[in-house]
Amino acid sequence: MLVILFILFGGLAIGCAINVVAQRNPLYCAISLIGVFMSLACLYLMLAAPFLAAVQVIVYAGAIMVLVVFVIMLLNVEQEEKRRIRIGFLVPAAVVMAAVLIGEVVFFLSTVHPNPILQPTDIGLTASIGAKLFTNYLLPFEITSILLLMAIVGAMTLSRRTDVISESARVIPGAQLLAVSDIDPSASHDHQTPIETHSTSEAARVLEISDRRTETERD
Amino acid sequence: MEPQLSWYLALSALLFTIGVIGVIIKRNVIAMFMCIELMLNAVNLTFVAFASFFQDVTGQLFVFIVMTVAAAEAAVGLGIIIAIFRNRESLDVDDASILKL
Repeated sequence: MLVILFILFGGLAIGCAINVVAQRNPLYCAISLIGVFMSLACLYLMLAAPFLAAVQVIVYAGAIMVLVVFVIMLLNVEQEEKRRIRIGFLVPAAVVMAAVLIGEVVFFLSTVHPNPILQPTDIGLTASIGAKLFTNYLLPFEITSILLLMAIVGAMTLSRRTDVISESARVIPGAQLLAVSDIDPSASHDHQTPIETHSTSEAARVLEISDRRTETERD
Repeated sequence: MEPQLSWYLALSALLFTIGVIGVIIKRNVIAMFMCIELMLNAVNLTFVAFASFFQDVTGQLFVFIVMTVAAAEAAVGLGIIIAIFRNRESLDVDDASILKL
């Protein structure tokens, strides 16, 4: 019975994983990856680890994949275009590496004896994991919290829009109002009223910054 | 007949190999990111299999921490991807081959 379940979920995981690699549309990749996560959660249940199975579904299939799908939708990714072959020699390299790894696996499977037997156990329960986590492994747990704090700060820093218009900032085309504090007052000869511009190049000229778009057009 | 420990290890190695192949042949940076997640999960399966067969909870704690690292990696990695896309308007890794935005 367990063998049938193992073949079912293992085959599902491998099939979905191959689909992740084979698909060109990132959204289909993401859906297949959720399939891999779910079948792995089922395998965790078979391995008597119900807590990890639940965390796998909640954290991986829930939080992380929602984030990934959100970014895919946000960036409106086009389908991956047919690649221009420039590093084509890496494909046979990948095949060779995979063959070597599979050979190693076969070697180990044929030589390692005896296999331990899965016995009924309570190590996968939330209580035993929590007891160990908050006694023997308290330090890694605390370090994890620092890691998460660093991730929060890093993500905020990376995605923050700066208030001051820097040289690398992209000027939005169309009518726009700029506050006096945002521009060089000497450029406007008027310290009271904000300046309205109607085009990207005009705004760039008022701000005395180089407009990348017009530069590339000139080239 | 029950599933053996070696079966789980073989499945994990296969998943990891597929992930490596994906990282090598993919050029969309989000797809590469997802292949890395696949590799992390393959390693997690190894940890859980060893933990269950050897009756040691440490392996499962490792998986717990790996999941946390994966979540942090997702947040920072996707932030970097958005920053690159904002500057280059492309998700092709070959377009972002220098470490400069």
